[in-house]
Amino acid sequence: MATAPTAYLRAISPLTEMGAYEAMWADDETTFASLAARFRESPELLPSDFVTDYAAKYFSEITRQMLRDAGVNQFGVRVHRAGEYPKKLRDAEDPVELLYYRGSWDLVETRSVAVVGTREPSQLSVEHTSRLVRLLVKDGFTIVSGLARGIDAAAHKAAVGGGGKTIAVIGTPLTHSYPKENAQLQERIATDFLLVSQVPIYRYSKQDYRRNRGFFPERNKTMSALTEATIIVEAGQTSGTLIQARAALRQGRKLFILDSCFQNPSLSWPREFETRGAIRVKEYDDIRRNLLLDVNQT
Amino acid sequence: MLTKLDELNLPDHWYLTADDECYFIGEYTAGRGFAHSATNQLILNLKKSVDRCGLPEWRHKEMAIRRAAVELRNSLNPQFLTSATFVPIPPSRVVEDPLYDDRMSQVVRLLDGGVDGRVLVLQLASMRDAHSAANRPGPGNLYSNYRIDNTLVDPRPSQVAIVDDVLTTGAHFQAMKRILLETYPDIPVVGLFLARRVPNTE
Repeated sequence: MATAPTAYLRAISPLTEMGAYEAMWADDETTFASLAARFRESPELLPSDFVTDYAAKYFSEITRQMLRDAGVNQFGVRVHRAGEYPKKLRDAEDPVELLYYRGSWDLVETRSVAVVGTREPSQLSVEHTSRLVRLLVKDGFTIVSGLARGIDAAAHKAAVGGGGKTIAVIGTPLTHSYPKENAQLQERIATDFLLVSQVPIYRYSKQDYRRNRGFFPERNKTMSALTEATIIVEAGQTSGTLIQARAALRQGRKLFILDSCFQNPSLSWPREFETRGAIRVKEYDDIRRNLLLDVNQT
Repeated sequence: MLTKLDELNLPDHWYLTADDECYFIGEYTAGRGFAHSATNQLILNLKKSVDRCGLPEWRHKEMAIRRAAVELRNSLNPQFLTSATFVPIPPSRVVEDPLYDDRMSQVVRLLDGGVDGRVLVLQLASMRDAHSAANRPGPGNLYSNYRIDNTLVDPRPSQVAIVDDVLTTGAHFQAMKRILLETYPDIPVVGLFLARRVPNTE
C-alpha cells in the first residue's frame, strides 16, 4: 500500500553527480564549452541524466579513491541547482556545473576581489601586490587568486599574513598542486580558508601536462565570475591573466589595471582594456571608491 | 533542489547511517567565524530566541518562518507534498515553558494547500537547547522524552517526512523515527531539513 517516498522526491546526490561529471569528462572530446552547451540545451538536467547509473557510480568511486590517495579526506562538491551553488557563477560564458572545494565554503558569500598577474613579476610588482592586498583586507574584502607562482602567491600570502581571508581557485584538481613550491600554501588555504577547483580529477590523471595546461585559463573565468572585480598588477602581452580580464568585462565585473602596466611602452593591452571599460589605478582610492560605490547602489 | 544526504556528508552526522534517508536544502556554517550565506541568515533568524518577541528584530524571525515554508514547499514536488504527512521535530521546550518555540510547527502549517502537517510527537519535559548545551542528548534520551499525540494518529499516513530546521548529529531524527515507526511499523520515514550543519573544523 505504502509507496517509497524516493519515488516522489527529486534530489541531488553530490557523490552521484560528482561521478557523473567525471564520467562526462572521461570522454576525450569533452571541454568546458561543450559541457556548458549541453546544459544550456537542457537546463533541467543534471550530470547524472547524461550518463548511466553504472558510469556515475564507477567514476564516483575512482575519483574518491584518487582523492584519498592524494591525502584529501575532506572535500565537498557544489552542483548547479543544489543548495549553496553561487548564482554569480552563471554569469560566466560557459558556467561550471560542478566544483570541488576544501575549507569554508561560506567565504564565497563574502565580498571578494581577485588579485592576479604574471608568474614572473618584478620585485616592485610583488611589493605593490602586498600593499594593495593589505589595504583590501583592511576594507574587508576577501582576496581571491589562482595560486600560481608570482603575483598570485604574493596575493594569497599577503592576505593570510595581513589577517585577511583568501580563496584560491586552482587550475589543477584537488589531488594536485602547481607549482610544487606552493603546495604548503595550498594546504594552508584548504585548511583555514577556501580552495576551489573545477578541474576533473580522472581526466587530469589520464592526459599529459600539455593538455592539462588548458585548465589554467578556464579557472580564470570562474575566478572572475566568483568575484566582484579583478585587479591586474602586472601582466605581459600574451599573459593568461588577460583571459581573466576579458572574462571580467564580459561578465559585467569591474576590471582594475595598475598604472605601472600602462607605463610599460611594450604593452598595448592596458589601453585596449581601458577603452572597453577597465579602470586605471593610480592610487588605492581608485579601487576603493569604485568598489564602495557599489554598496551604496545596492 | 533538495540534496540527498549521501556518503560524502554522512560522517558529519554522527547518529545517522546509510539506511537513513535524509534531505536538506542548504548548508549552515555559522559558528565558524564566517556567516555570510543566505542559509546562515535564514537559520540564525529562525532560531532567534522567543524572549526577543516584541522587539523590532522579531519580524526577522517571522519572515524567516515564512521563507522557510516557501523554500521547503518549492523544493518538494506536488506528489510528495500531497501524499506525505509532515511531522515537525518538537522544540526543546514544552508548551508551558516561557521559551517554548513552535517555529517548525509554524513552518509545517504554512506549507498549506492540502498538505497534511501534524504535530504528532510531543515532548514530556523541557530539554536544554541542543545548540547551546555542552552535552547534547543522544537519541535514547530524546526518545524517552517523546510521546505520540494519540488524538492525531488517524488517518494513517502513507509516508512520513520528519521536518526540522538544522540537521546536526541526527539524534533528534533517530528518536523521532523510532517513535514513529513504533506507531506505524511499515511506512517509510524520511528526514527533511532546511539545512545541514557543516562541522567547525576540517
